[in-house]
Amino acid sequence: MSLRARLGVGLLSVAVLVGLWHVGALLVGKDIILPSPLRVLREFIAIAPSPDFREAVAGTFARGLEAFAISSLAGSVAGFAAGRSALVQAALSPLFTTIRATPVLALILLALLWFPSGVVPVFAAFLMAFPVMAASAMEGARAAPKELLEMAALFKVPRRKILLEIRIPAAFPFFAAGARAALGLSWKVVVAGEVLAQPHRALGTGMQTSRMLLETPRVFAWALAAILLCGLAEWLFGRLVKWGNTRGL
Amino acid sequence: MAYKLWDIRRSFGGLEVLSGVDIEFGPTQLLVILGPSGCGKTTLLKIVAGLDGGFSGKREGFDQSRFSFVFQEHRLLPWKSVVGNALFALSSAGMDKSQAMTRIENFVRLSGLSGHENRPVRELSGGMRQRAALVRAFAMPADILLLDEAFQSVDLKRKRELMRLFLGLREMERNASILVTHDPWEALWLADRIVVLSDRPTRVVDAFDIDLPRGEREAGMPAIAALEMRLSAALIGIETSPPPC
Repeated sequence: MSLRARLGVGLLSVAVLVGLWHVGALLVGKDIILPSPLRVLREFIAIAPSPDFREAVAGTFARGLEAFAISSLAGSVAGFAAGRSALVQAALSPLFTTIRATPVLALILLALLWFPSGVVPVFAAFLMAFPVMAASAMEGARAAPKELLEMAALFKVPRRKILLEIRIPAAFPFFAAGARAALGLSWKVVVAGEVLAQPHRALGTGMQTSRMLLETPRVFAWALAAILLCGLAEWLFGRLVKWGNTRGL
Repeated sequence: MAYKLWDIRRSFGGLEVLSGVDIEFGPTQLLVILGPSGCGKTTLLKIVAGLDGGFSGKREGFDQSRFSFVFQEHRLLPWKSVVGNALFALSSAGMDKSQAMTRIENFVRLSGLSGHENRPVRELSGGMRQRAALVRAFAMPADILLLDEAFQSVDLKRKRELMRLFLGLREMERNASILVTHDPWEALWLADRIVVLSDRPTRVVDAFDIDLPRGEREAGMPAIAALEMRLSAALIGIETSPPPC
């Protein structure tokens, strides 16, 4: 399918969803329950220029990136090591399973007891995204083609060079897939953590405050900002992966 | 004779693959080991290279030798260039980078890959990749070059081109080469010496030198026709031999 056709289908799908939402809002007839898309857009345009909004966006963006960076880095190293060594895998496996099975809300509630409110969303997002990244990196660590490893061994290439020039490049598509999933998860958990932890300068805090004041259109506007932020981060990540591919990764 | 294998035996589990193989060849000879698929040719190459220690018998002259390799598939790193692949293999050769680059550039030029040497291998055609694999193999300083069915994965025309290139590059590096193949014509066209192996349990059924210049090794030429008959007899003898009772 061409890029143009894909874009067309994507736009059509968004239009259908917004149309359904609009019809739903008309049927409900109460902004406090379900505001119309137009009402939300007006609210978004109204809050967007305010310094509070910009600071909230910047704060959430920084937390999301922080969580993503830490979980990607730690997940890559731990997952790759587990993929290369049965001993490391056996040692880390219970940790991965426990983290994966723990409900995100339980993590956030516990983190609220342990950390300042600004750290809670980052901690919770890290714990949720870390096993996702680690699982991909583990698969990537085993992705190096056997015949290339054999070739390197026959030419007596040093192990460090084999790691840097065969194993890591072969794992790159797995790192990229894991990081993409971790990125999406990081945003969701960061915003959820912000809703509960109420740190300064946060989209989640704005959402929660608006909810308590029963300003439903504003809750939607904050949510729209979170969606746009997530979209921007994923677009930037896509560009980064493309750049990596052109550099031979 | 500089290199000798005496009474080489190798079994896997209860299956005897090599059953007393004797081979000799000189330090600049191109030895072709011809035999049916699955007769243990690759195992024999591994024993020569010192990569298989589970055999009995004697190896002479190989211990201090340096080896280089050409495989049936090119086995190049697709994300690296022709030069990058050769440098990767040469990292164990103890050369400084400028020395290695001089060697590599020389073989790139001889292989007709000039202008493509810095392109990632995944962007090159199949024929160019095979040539890049030869560049890597020859750039690696070696006393013995081992080729495992190296000309099998290309069509007939490309095979001839590749074999010509191989012989041309060999003029630059007068080392010993061992090619294993099941194609009698590859053997007749390339070899200084041919060793014919039987089916499993494998032993040598014929071995001889060929002194004919390569220009006189085309199909239909009388001398080559006689050798072709000799090889066919050895190989057909293998194929038609009765199964063991």
